[in-house]
Amino acid sequence: MSADYKKYWRSLEEYEAGDALDEQAAEEFADTPLREGAEPGRREFLLAAGFTLAGAALTGCGRAPVEKAIPLLRQPEGILPGRSYYYATVCGGCSASCGLLAKGRDGRPIKLEGNPEHPVSRGGLCAVGQASILGLYDSLRLQQPMARGKSASWREVDEEIAKTLDGIRKEKRTVRVLTQTVASPALNSQIRGFLKGFPDARHVVYDVLSASPILDAHRQTHGARVLPRYLFQKANVIASFDADFLGTWISPVEYTSGYSEARAVEATPPRSAWHVQFESRMSLTGTKADRRIKLAPEQIPAALEHLAVRVARKAGSPVLPAAGSPVPLPDEVLDELANRLWEARGRSLVVCGLPGAEAQVLCNFVNHLLGNYGATLDIAAPSYQKQGDDRELTALVDEINAGKVGALFLHGVNPVADLPGGEELAKSLARIPLLVSLSPRLDETSPLARFVCPECDPLETWGDAEPVAGVTAISQPAIRPLGQARPAIESFARWSGNGASAHELVRSFWQESVYPRQAGQEAFEAFWKKSVEAGFARVRPQPMAVKPFDVQAVKPMSAGRSSTGKLALVLYPTPAMPDGRHAYNPWLHELPDPITKATWDNYASLAPATAGRMALQDGDVVRLLISGNAIELPVLIQPGQHEKVVAVALAYGRTVSARFANTGPKWLEQRPTPGPNGMIGANAAPFLLLKDGSVRYWRDDVKVTATGKRRPLAVTQAYSSLTVPKNLDPGGGPRPIVQETTLEALGTGGAKHESEPVMELWPDDHPFTGHRWAMTIDLNACTGCSACVIACQVENNVPVTGRDEVMRNRQMHWIRIDRYYSGPPSDVEVAHQPMMCQHCEHAPCETVCPVLATVHSSEGLNQQIYNRCVGTRYCENNCPYKVRRFNWFEYSRDDRLANLTLNPDVTVRSRGVMEKCSFCVQRIQDAKAEAKLQNRALRDGEIQTACQQTCPARAIVFGDVNDPRSKVAQRMNSGRRYRVLEEINTRPSVGYLKIVRAKKTDTDKEGGARG
Amino acid sequence: MKSGILTIVLSTGLFFSALYLAARAGTVHIPGNQQDYQPVQPIAYSHRLHAGELQMPCLYCHFSAEKSRHAGIPPASVCMNCHTLVTATFGAVRAEEELATKEQRKPRTLVSPELQKIYDALGLDANRKPDPARTMKPIAWTRVYKLPDFVYFDHRAHVGAGVICQTCHGPVEAMERMRQVPDLSMGWCVNCHRDATKNGVAGKKVYASIDCSTCHY
Amino acid sequence: MAEVQAVSRPPLILGDKSLTQITSDICSAMLRRPGALWWIGFLFSLTLLAIGATVVTYQVATGIGTWGLNNSVGWAFGITNFVFWIGIGHAGTLISAILFLFRQRWRTSVNRSAEAMTLFAVMCAGVFPLIHMGRPWMGYWIFPYPNFRGPLWMNFRSPLAWDAFAISTYFLISLTFWYVGLIPDLATIRDRAGAGLRRRLFAFFSLGWNGSFRTWQRYEIVYTLLAGLATPLVVSVHTIVSWDFATAVIPGWHATIFPPYFVAGAIFSGMAMVLTLMIVARTVMHLENYITVRHVEVMCKLVILNSSIVALAYGTEFFMAQYSGNPYEQFVFLNRAFGPFAFAYWTMVSCNVLIPQLLWFKRIRTNIAVVFVLSLLINVGMWFERFVIIVTSLHRDFLPSNWASYRPTTIEVATLVGSFGLFFTCFLIFCRILPMIAMAEVKGVVAHERAQRRNRK
Repeated sequence: MSADYKKYWRSLEEYEAGDALDEQAAEEFADTPLREGAEPGRREFLLAAGFTLAGAALTGCGRAPVEKAIPLLRQPEGILPGRSYYYATVCGGCSASCGLLAKGRDGRPIKLEGNPEHPVSRGGLCAVGQASILGLYDSLRLQQPMARGKSASWREVDEEIAKTLDGIRKEKRTVRVLTQTVASPALNSQIRGFLKGFPDARHVVYDVLSASPILDAHRQTHGARVLPRYLFQKANVIASFDADFLGTWISPVEYTSGYSEARAVEATPPRSAWHVQFESRMSLTGTKADRRIKLAPEQIPAALEHLAVRVARKAGSPVLPAAGSPVPLPDEVLDELANRLWEARGRSLVVCGLPGAEAQVLCNFVNHLLGNYGATLDIAAPSYQKQGDDRELTALVDEINAGKVGALFLHGVNPVADLPGGEELAKSLARIPLLVSLSPRLDETSPLARFVCPECDPLETWGDAEPVAGVTAISQPAIRPLGQARPAIESFARWSGNGASAHELVRSFWQESVYPRQAGQEAFEAFWKKSVEAGFARVRPQPMAVKPFDVQAVKPMSAGRSSTGKLALVLYPTPAMPDGRHAYNPWLHELPDPITKATWDNYASLAPATAGRMALQDGDVVRLLISGNAIELPVLIQPGQHEKVVAVALAYGRTVSARFANTGPKWLEQRPTPGPNGMIGANAAPFLLLKDGSVRYWRDDVKVTATGKRRPLAVTQAYSSLTVPKNLDPGGGPRPIVQETTLEALGTGGAKHESEPVMELWPDDHPFTGHRWAMTIDLNACTGCSACVIACQVENNVPVTGRDEVMRNRQMHWIRIDRYYSGPPSDVEVAHQPMMCQHCEHAPCETVCPVLATVHSSEGLNQQIYNRCVGTRYCENNCPYKVRRFNWFEYSRDDRLANLTLNPDVTVRSRGVMEKCSFCVQRIQDAKAEAKLQNRALRDGEIQTACQQTCPARAIVFGDVNDPRSKVAQRMNSGRRYRVLEEINTRPSVGYLKIVRAKKTDTDKEGGARG
Repeated sequence: MKSGILTIVLSTGLFFSALYLAARAGTVHIPGNQQDYQPVQPIAYSHRLHAGELQMPCLYCHFSAEKSRHAGIPPASVCMNCHTLVTATFGAVRAEEELATKEQRKPRTLVSPELQKIYDALGLDANRKPDPARTMKPIAWTRVYKLPDFVYFDHRAHVGAGVICQTCHGPVEAMERMRQVPDLSMGWCVNCHRDATKNGVAGKKVYASIDCSTCHY
Repeated sequence: MAEVQAVSRPPLILGDKSLTQITSDICSAMLRRPGALWWIGFLFSLTLLAIGATVVTYQVATGIGTWGLNNSVGWAFGITNFVFWIGIGHAGTLISAILFLFRQRWRTSVNRSAEAMTLFAVMCAGVFPLIHMGRPWMGYWIFPYPNFRGPLWMNFRSPLAWDAFAISTYFLISLTFWYVGLIPDLATIRDRAGAGLRRRLFAFFSLGWNGSFRTWQRYEIVYTLLAGLATPLVVSVHTIVSWDFATAVIPGWHATIFPPYFVAGAIFSGMAMVLTLMIVARTVMHLENYITVRHVEVMCKLVILNSSIVALAYGTEFFMAQYSGNPYEQFVFLNRAFGPFAFAYWTMVSCNVLIPQLLWFKRIRTNIAVVFVLSLLINVGMWFERFVIIVTSLHRDFLPSNWASYRPTTIEVATLVGSFGLFFTCFLIFCRILPMIAMAEVKGVVAHERAQRRNRK
């Protein structure tokens, strides 16, 4: 079917010599009356509005501009104008390769959603995945190949490359392919095939966020270089040593969904996995931990080692690694942890994100002793989500610097920006006879390449993936390539003399390698069709040569450097910007960091005590210096961070981010979005350390000096506590905005929700017969990952406002995640609270609008009618939750290509009107219309709001509370349910489920504080 | 005396201009109201002929009206269902046949210039077979019924509820060229919705919501 | 009784003027070429007005984002200015209507200009609700008018809609009242003016006044009736304005004492503004004999009264917050006094409560210069009162995550400046083309006093 549909696209391209897409954009968004700007329609509209009477009197009838309607010539079956369709495919956001459903509309994908059937990601999708659709419509993507910095045709480029390769083959020079983890088996085998032709060729894989030590450790302990599949859903005790598995570690969506399953307190039987987190900075995972123990970076391995010793003792294991380093934290803490783990043998899980194989070996050892292998860790059917090998990388870098490499192909990597010593590397890369980059954009590395052969966006091409052994997925195109870009697999095939298309290549690969592994007995055609339709296929995993645990591998750790007096620099990825490849994406830059709530920058996080000692405020610019490398960053004071640590996010300061110079409204007092270096943030990669075969993400020899400059950060939440400042505190403790309970209380406390007394001044003359839409949000499940924020932004055409507007507290996100700290700043507890329009039954906003632009629907929705709004902002003032968003300016929609992501089912708001969460009313209306057609009642769960759909933790439930069987109605009756600001009787339609804290002993806090 | 004439002249002038204004007043529209809009289309397609005389059901061509938000304009391929064979008006063909029999020769196939446009669009050759040499060129119709972009009208729901097309589109079967019959004002929509909820549609009981978010989101 | 008063009090009009003198004195102010002082004042305010016009144009063209508002603080400068100007207006109506009904003779010298001030103030105020909108060109949607939208009309529950009515009513009534009061004087000027456009204009506007007993009688009746009509407005308008806040749920706004509190505040600020203007006018236009120290003193007394009422309101607010036991409410007021906007709060308290207490001393009341300074300070204080109420309540409300700050942009400041430009430009023009003092009424007073003195002889 997509074939016919391609024909349609082509015909449209050929029609109108000019750029068909612009053409499309024009048709789609011409004369949107709610937009000011160049379009004649807009002027028409202004005219009409401004001079209604004059117009009536003079012109008699002001005609709207003539609009053309261009039907298809041949209607492909299954494609109807104005009707959405879904293609199952694979997310290209990172190598975790979650399952996707790409929502298409009138020939273009407009939204990505998690594939609920997918066995790995299970319907969730992270912020990056949600935002990655913008990559497809990125107007700065390379439209065609480049040779020596000039655009060329594929034919020329291919011929030249072929010629050069022949030369290299004759001279027997080395050929290297450097990629990130290639999720696609088809591409992998293609690369292998390509390299076969050369005497000395190797495919080197490295990941910006490396998991190499884990694989190396397993080679030592299990004789196979595998990355286990971590099954958090099976764990009852989780110990994480600096692994941010909910935020950025290996496969966050998968883990988050497992994690929330392991902590589903209302499931039968109730689960409440106990989670301890050892870390030096405040990570997303740390915010959810029942017990967060902050240690200096060099202390964490020591802690692991001592834990290993204790567990080994319990297990009576023959090997007792002598703990070289001093115990960094009170014994009883480790003892308690060891006990908990031991009691939960086979139902516990220890994960470790530390650099260096030896720590990982210890981690494996502990998991082995606890009998977790085969239970909570699967190495028989391991994960393929990270394949990077830092040893090979080191070797390759040396080769390159030594000028030994004859030809280097780069795919999905940007070594100059991502690796330490980028400058030298750049110099030596430039010397390579044949450097080919497949990068879709001009980044730091690709301009050095002799040939840039841009690869397609994942949504434009055929491909496949095998995230974990036995789950193979097909990624099918949702649109025809927009430019002249070419899928990587085709390029490699072409260079190995095979002119087949990506489709043929993937298909034939599946026929040869995947089809034989199928579980059933289907014919290939059927198998293929089914897999394409479902988006994945369960097949027999490749047999793994895994040996039993080899205790000899366990060696006492080389005594970790005892902490030097100086600050340690910790380099980390943020959930919003895990990888520099996304630095082109304005949505991700404007997404508030889940913990710091900062946007459009990276910064140097300091513990409050440390900042105090150095007399630094938020926004003071400091200079970080390590052996010649120096960068300047504004300070951000981060409660809960270790005092000896300064933490800086990677993946910033990329040249692609220079494009944001014009982001944001233009006016007198406007301030630019990029920083003084013309880019967003500064690149901290030079501080990484590529040493003894692993990338180190922390340095203990950083020099931090104040520069006296200031750069205030664009933070979306100015005040972070529920307790008001002391000098203004009337007493009465923290505000009951976020409510918590404990496991005991939950055990004893009434499971049913006691309905609060209702005070009514007037007779209740608005009964909600029929539907009554409502939402519940489980604060215990919510990890604050912020996927919902982007999902909402894509679904509802929420504009990007730019850094300056964020600093003025004018960000437009309809759903925000409030983050509150409690407890002493040294060791805080964190609560995440998604906050959007509460659709109050007694909505304060509704009574005050003079023009009835916001009114209540008969189904309990608080409706905002953009085209009626005159912008008095009275509703915004009177909203106790301050969830209304005002269009202070005409937020730019100049990029017509990017406009193709706009959801045609949602009005594009103009300047001067109020907007806010609508409970995705467009989805409600659509589902209702469908149900009406099939004349049946709506099913529970049929309507999913964008935020709910994407939530990996399944924290959000939306539905009809008038239907007692609906999930939302049941959760509304939960004993944990409360409403925010119930006391002012706004009667919100959003119910929150209290956070459940594991009951704590007094030692905890100290344990943390002392770390 | 002079002033007398002047008065007469002026008053007659006033009288006629008053007449003119009165006549004009009926057709005055406030801007945005496109009532009676009847643009010339690239192909002189006649609803009167197809929907009227030939009594083709609306949904035969506008098939997406029952499955999608938009009723849509039929793809040229739909036209070809008939017009591969029917190439000219019945009258013309008949005349040609008579002439042919008179002149004892095979009747030539006539192709009406309007239909020719469809064939060109589809890039067909003289025998209406696809001709690779020619490029296909979509037909750019002029849109008649146009709601502002902040209004979401859903054909699905209305067709599904059994609202007949003429309720909103007027006597299409009598129109040579398509014309916008209603003023498409919000009042017009709401009145119909209220009426439908009160009296039902085609004897069926329906609930036509008048919530804002029924059409605005 | 009347004698006793008359003896005990100094005369309202000094310099034992004859009726002719009065006429000539007041008219001469208009017939004379404008003095340098006037020109300076006029050009200055015209410049301010020009600035205002420019920035408003820029703001409407670019977007309301050019104001320093944000997602938490949706109103600030704009609405502050609006309430401030509306407040100014009230004193005019009070003086012209209520004091008229109470037969306060001293009002005669000041009521004309006070009413003019009311009109101009309401004009300034009226601008802000319009330009503070996101889409001012849609502003007319606030009014009920026939349309094609079926059930959609306007929201009669919204205080903003009430504002629209209240303000337009207020403006119309004040205008009529003022105009009717002008008629006899217009006639006087008509009779003094030589032939030409000027004469014709005044002839037209004086509606063929001929000074006959009948005209006078009709005039008195209409004037009294209008005074009666205008009186409730003094209370109603600012009450309705206060409902903009009182009907909201935001702590610091949601208060039942707002109507009296606002009305008192309004008259307070209005009186101060009248003082400012009168003192300027009497020097610039040489009307010392008509606007005497006694007038100033009487108004100062009213100022003290209102200042005390306002002070009481401030106290009550804090007490109620404490008494309510509502932590949100309590916090808002602590935050006002000691939070980021404390400076605004204490400016307000000192200007509105502490400084006016000086007026208890006669030596200060009678010292024109000092009174002038005080009146200016009070206006500053009253502006800050509105600012405090609006901004401090919004910038930190229920959810700490929403807490934000607010800083005005140059555009906003320039807009405020511009509104003063508009006000003073109008007023200065008024001084030139119309009698600043109600001659007819003053004559009445003078005649009355003379009669009394004769009786005593």
